[in-house]
Amino acid sequence: MQPSSSALLALLALPFLGAAFAPLVYRVLGERTAYFAAAVAAASLALVASLFGTQGTVAVPWIPTYGVSLAFYVDGLALLIGTLASGVGVLVFTYSGGYMHGEPGQVKYYATLLAFMGSMLGVAFAADLIALFVFWELTSVSSFLLIGHYQDADASQYAARKSMLITVAGGLFMLVGFLLLHVVATGVPAVDSAFRLAGEGSILANADTMVGALRAQGLFVPVLLLVGVGAATKSAQVPFHIWLPNAMEAPTPVSAFLHSATMVKAGVYLVGRFRPLLLTDEWTLVFGILGLATMTITAILAVAASDIKELLAYSTASHLGLIVAGYGMSGYLGAETGAFHILNHALFKAALFLVAGIVAHEAGTRAIDELGGLASDLPLTAAVTTVAALGMAGVPPFNGFYSKEFLFHAVYYTAEHAVADGGSVLWWLLPAVAVFGSIFTFLYSIRFLMLFFGDKPDALGEVHAPPLAMTVPAVVLGGLALVVGLGGVAGTFGVHFTPLERFVGTVMESSLAHAGEGEHSFSYYLPTEVSPWLIMSAVTIGVGAVAYPFFDGIRDGVRAVRDVDYLRPNWYYDGTVAGLDRSSAIDVIQTGNLRTYALALSLALAALTLGAYAAAGVAVPGLAFAGLGPALVVVLAVAVVGAVAVAAAPSHIAGVLTLSIVGFMVAIFYILGSAPDLALTQLVIETLVLVIFLLVLDKLPAFYGTANRLRAARDAVVAGAVGLTVTVTVLLSTAAGPDDVIAQYFVENGGVPAEHGPIFADAGGGGNIVNVILVDFRAFDTLGEISVVAMAALSVITLIAMRERGEIQ
Amino acid sequence: MSLDRQPTVIARTVTRLVVPLILVTALALLFQGHNLPGGGFIAGVLTVTAFALVYVIFGLDYLEAELLDRNPGTRYETESGIIREYGTVFAVGLAVAVGSGIAAIALGYPFLTQAVAFVEPLPIYHELEVASALVFDLGVYAVVVGALLTILAEVGSE
Repeated sequence: MQPSSSALLALLALPFLGAAFAPLVYRVLGERTAYFAAAVAAASLALVASLFGTQGTVAVPWIPTYGVSLAFYVDGLALLIGTLASGVGVLVFTYSGGYMHGEPGQVKYYATLLAFMGSMLGVAFAADLIALFVFWELTSVSSFLLIGHYQDADASQYAARKSMLITVAGGLFMLVGFLLLHVVATGVPAVDSAFRLAGEGSILANADTMVGALRAQGLFVPVLLLVGVGAATKSAQVPFHIWLPNAMEAPTPVSAFLHSATMVKAGVYLVGRFRPLLLTDEWTLVFGILGLATMTITAILAVAASDIKELLAYSTASHLGLIVAGYGMSGYLGAETGAFHILNHALFKAALFLVAGIVAHEAGTRAIDELGGLASDLPLTAAVTTVAALGMAGVPPFNGFYSKEFLFHAVYYTAEHAVADGGSVLWWLLPAVAVFGSIFTFLYSIRFLMLFFGDKPDALGEVHAPPLAMTVPAVVLGGLALVVGLGGVAGTFGVHFTPLERFVGTVMESSLAHAGEGEHSFSYYLPTEVSPWLIMSAVTIGVGAVAYPFFDGIRDGVRAVRDVDYLRPNWYYDGTVAGLDRSSAIDVIQTGNLRTYALALSLALAALTLGAYAAAGVAVPGLAFAGLGPALVVVLAVAVVGAVAVAAAPSHIAGVLTLSIVGFMVAIFYILGSAPDLALTQLVIETLVLVIFLLVLDKLPAFYGTANRLRAARDAVVAGAVGLTVTVTVLLSTAAGPDDVIAQYFVENGGVPAEHGPIFADAGGGGNIVNVILVDFRAFDTLGEISVVAMAALSVITLIAMRERGEIQ
Repeated sequence: MSLDRQPTVIARTVTRLVVPLILVTALALLFQGHNLPGGGFIAGVLTVTAFALVYVIFGLDYLEAELLDRNPGTRYETESGIIREYGTVFAVGLAVAVGSGIAAIALGYPFLTQAVAFVEPLPIYHELEVASALVFDLGVYAVVVGALLTILAEVGSE
C-alpha cells in the first residue's frame, strides 16, 4: 500500500517545528518543556505507526534542475529506525524531565534533541542520495551540540569536536561515494532519476544493472569503501570507535538516545540499506571483517572500562559491530541478524543507559569499583538491569540470545560455504572470532549486572529512590526487551508472536539482495536440537562463566595492553590534531600581521590573473587615445600626480588626503563621461571614507621608523605586480567590446513603454537606467551587496565591541 | 576621536545649517532615484556623511545627549545603546528588501520582480508614477545608513 504523503511529510516536519517552538514553549512551561518534547515525539511515533503496512515513495521536488528531490521511501527498515527514533525519543524526553532538573541550557537541549530526532527520522526515510546526505550531516551537527552540552567543560568540548571531526569527515567520504553512484546511475537507462536511492526506477530497484555498470567502470570497490567509511565512522567501527566513549560526556539521556537508538544506528542503517545493492564477496569481506573486528576489540575494551557509561559506550560499538557483521554475511541469515539485533540492541541498550543514569544520579558515582549491592536500594532498577544485561550477554531466553544465534548461524554458514567452494581455511576464523568476542561481551555484561548484587561498599553513601519520570522509561524498555525474549520461548511451543515476527520480516526484506537469497519468513524460537551455532553459544556462555571469577585479572591485563600508545587509535587522533595545531607552517603563514596577508593576497591575485591571461593566450590591445579631450587629460594628469604624491607622502594623514585627490579626480572623470550616478556615488563615498580613515589613523602610530630598503623594494614589486594586473585587466575588458545585447535590452526595457496599462511589471518604467538596473533587472545582485554591507557592520560589532568577551569567559 | 580643542564657532554654525540640507538632499535623491540620478545607495551614504559631520564637530555623544535626551556612552552590550539601534535599522532594511522580493512571489511573479503603477488623475501632479522598486530602494537605504553608522560610531568610539 502506498504511504500517505501528508502523514510522511508531517512526520518529518513535526520535530523541526517542535524544535523551532521550543524556546517559546520554555517561556511558558519552564522545565516541563520535557513533556512538550515527549508529546512531539509521541505524535511522531503515532505518525510512524500510521505508516505501518505501507510501502512506497513520496517525493517533493527540491532542486528540479539537478533532479534532486526530497524523496522519502517507506519500508520495513525505515519504519524500524523511525519507530526506534520516535519511540525511544518519547521515553528519553520523559526521562529528561527528571534528569535535567536544574541543569543549565535546557532550551538549547530540548530544541537540539528534537532537531536531532527529526534529522534521524529524515535519515531513516530519505530516498534521495542528496536528501539522505543532508539529514545525515544534520545528525552530526545536532549531536555535536548535544555532546558538547556542558560547554564550559574541556572534556565536553574535546568529545564534541572529536565526534564532529570523525563523523563529518566520514560523511564526506560517503558523499563522494554517493556522487560516484549518481554518475554511474545516469548511464543506466533503467534508473529514472539518478539520485533516487529506493523505490520505483531507483538505484536499488535496478541493483543488478547498477552493479554491472559499477564494475564496468571499475567503481564498484571505491563506492563500497567510500560508503563503508561513512557507515563505519557513524557507527563507531574500529578504528573510528574512539569518538563514542568520549561522547558519553553528554547528559545521560542524550547518551541513551544518540548511542543506543539513533545516531550510531544511522551507520548500520546505511549498511542495511545498501546491502541489496552492494552485496558481493567483497562486501562480505569488508563488512564481515570490519564488524567482527569491531565486535571483538571493543568488547575487550569494555572489559577494561572503569566507568559504567564507558563500559556501555564500548559495548555499543561492539554490538554495532555485531550488526554490521550480520549484514556483511550473505544469505537471508545475515539480513535477519542485522534486522533483529538493531531492535534488540536498541531495547536493552537504551534501558541500560537509563539505568546508568539512575545509578549516577542516585549513587553519585559512575566508577565501577565504587559500586555494588545496589539491588537493595534500587530493586526495580535491578530487575530491569537483569533483563537487559542478560539480553546483552546473549543468555537464553533473553532477547539478545536470539539475534546472537542468528549471527553465529550466519558466520558458520558463510564460512562453511566459502570453504566448500574452495575458499581458504581462514574463513573459519569468522566463527572463531565471533565466539571469542562474544565471551568478552558476556564478561562485561555480567560485570555490569553485578553492580546490583554482592556487597555494598561502605564508601557508597545513601542511595535515594529515583523519581518516577526516570524509572518508568527504563521499566518500559526493560519490559519490551523481556517481551521480545519471552516471544522466543512461546515460539518454541509453536505460539508465535506474529506482529513482531512479521515486522522484523519486513525489516529483513529491505536488506535482502534481490537475487539468490530466496523467500524466507522470519521467526525465532529457542533451539530444540543441537547445531554448531548452538554449541557456539554454549561455548560463549560456558567459557564466560568460567572466566568471570578472574574478571579483575583479565581487566588488568587488557588495560596494560590498551595503554600501549601505538595500539591506541586515540594516540594517533590526538597526535594528528595537536600536530595540526602547532605545525611550523602555521607560524609562517599565520603571522597575525596584516601585511603578510595583504602580501599573499595581492601576489596570489596578480599571479592567478596574469597566469590565466597567459594560459588563454590573450593579446593585450594597444592604447586608444581617441576621444580623449583636453578636460579629461587635465583631470587624469592631476589624478596621476595625486597618486605619486600618495607614495611620497611623509605621514598617514598626508597620504590619505592626497589619496582623496585621486578619488575626486575619478569622480570628475565620471561627470565628464556623462555618468552622474557614478560620480555622485564616488563623491559621497570618497567623503565618507576620508572621515573614517581619519578616525582610524588617530589610533595608528604616526611614525614607523626609517623604511628598510629591502622591504621598500619588495613592496614596490608587489605594488607594481598589482598595478600591472589591473591595467591589463582594464585594457582587456574594455577592448573586448561585448555584444550590445544586454545593454540594448536594458535600454529598451528600462523606461516606460510607449503603450502601457496603469500597472505593469514587464518593464522598469524608470528614467534612470542605472537605478532601474540596480533595483529591478539586477535586484538580486543588489540584495547580495546590501547583505555584504550588513555583514561588514556585524563584523565590526563583533570584532570591536565584543572583542573582550569570549576570551574572558 | 579625541579632539583636544573645541571646533570653532564657524564650524559649528555651518554644521547646524548644512546638516538639514544634506538630509533633505539625501531624501530627494532617494525619491527621485527612479527617474533621475540618485537612489537608495547614494542617499544612504549621503545621510551617513551628515551624521559623520555631526560626530566630528559635536562629538559622539551629542546625538544621544542633546537630540534623544538620553544618558550617552552606553556600549553595544547594553540594551539601549545607539549602536544597537543602528543595528535594528540595517536589520529592518534587509528585511524590507527581502520582503519586497517575497511579495512578488506571493503575487505569482519571480523573486524580486518589480512593478510600476501610474496613479491618475491627481490634482497638480496629474499623474504619479509609483514604483514598487521604491520599497526595495528604501530597504537598500536603511541597510546602508544602519550599517555605515554602526561602523562609524563603533570605530569612532575607539
